[in-house]
Amino acid sequence: MPFDQLDLKRAIAGDERAMQRLWSQHAPHIDAVVRRLCGDAELAADISQEVWMQIFRALPSYRGDSQFGTWAHRIAVNRTLNALRKIRRLAKLETDIEDDSALTEQDTDRTFLAESIEQAMTKLSPGARAVFVLHDVEGYTHGEIGEELGITPGGSKSQLFKARAKLKMLLAHLVDESQPVAGKGKAHVAPV
Amino acid sequence: MSHLSEDQLDHLIARERASQHPPLNEWRTIAARAREEGLIRESESHSWAAGQPWLQAAAAVLLLIGGMAIGRATIGLPTSTGQVESSVAANRTASGPTVPAISASASFASVDDASATLERALGDYQRASAFLAANGSGATTMDSSRIYSARLAALEKVGNAMESALQTAPHDPVINQYYLATMGARVATQQLVNRPVGLALKGF
Repeated sequence: MPFDQLDLKRAIAGDERAMQRLWSQHAPHIDAVVRRLCGDAELAADISQEVWMQIFRALPSYRGDSQFGTWAHRIAVNRTLNALRKIRRLAKLETDIEDDSALTEQDTDRTFLAESIEQAMTKLSPGARAVFVLHDVEGYTHGEIGEELGITPGGSKSQLFKARAKLKMLLAHLVDESQPVAGKGKAHVAPV
Repeated sequence: MSHLSEDQLDHLIARERASQHPPLNEWRTIAARAREEGLIRESESHSWAAGQPWLQAAAAVLLLIGGMAIGRATIGLPTSTGQVESSVAANRTASGPTVPAISASASFASVDDASATLERALGDYQRASAFLAANGSGATTMDSSRIYSARLAALEKVGNAMESALQTAPHDPVINQYYLATMGARVATQQLVNRPVGLALKGF
């Protein structure tokens, strides 16, 4: 059932059922973005709560200029990246997005066999994972990613190249085991 | 170890993009926080009846009086309020026991007052139904047995429906009141059905 204007008004007025309908319809996609960016299910669940609280707080400011899902998606990405920055700062683990962290530990990773691309993404550095998820999965351009992450479009391209190289290595056994991984002609979902 | 090709990786990415996962949290977790922050307003979130206690009370009283009227009609006792009151008064003067009269003009000082009255009335209704089943006046015939059986079957269905509703809304006051009233009526009717045909009823 589409989330119509009446439901939106009800949700803004604090109607729980309308809010739940909104959540039910969009949580699978919104939560997937959070999960991919975090790379950790427990952390993702915590951040997802914050994301939804922010969406509900911001509901009165939604003007309908874009699809509700697009608007909520932006909030999810911003909130998740902010949370990740905060966590990394607190843990003193912040790494420079422009470094070569996407290729570090390559030798040890050769023994790691990812069962899925989601699992393989957890082996990427946070910055490389963010660039990869935003560009290849969510369809952001390098310019948009640069704005989100505070890096140059060139830096984003570089991170994406490294991330994809690492993923191809981590998932190589899927081909070695003759699993049919077909697909022709489909490149990136967003312009480079 | 070989590597995936660009196309193969893109295919895996497309599959990941299309994959469906359950939400990371349950709604009640999100709702609890939203409620804490005042983003959920109770008056907007409950049903029309739950938001208006006087409607709950009115619904329950209607059920109570309706149930009594149906029960009395079934066993041949007077059904109108006036008849009930005169019957109660006659009963009071004749045999002494005081029976609380139901006043149509009863007013309540508060919601709590009305709720307490309602609970008392439901308890009285169930006790009176049980008493009637055991000591009612009039003879039980084959016809009345069929009527009681039909009533019991209907009450079974209503009871089951109420039980299902309670699974979804265990704390809803209206459903709880209907459930209790139905259970009381079902027990009383069950006793009527089980009573041997021809047993004399002795009155309310």
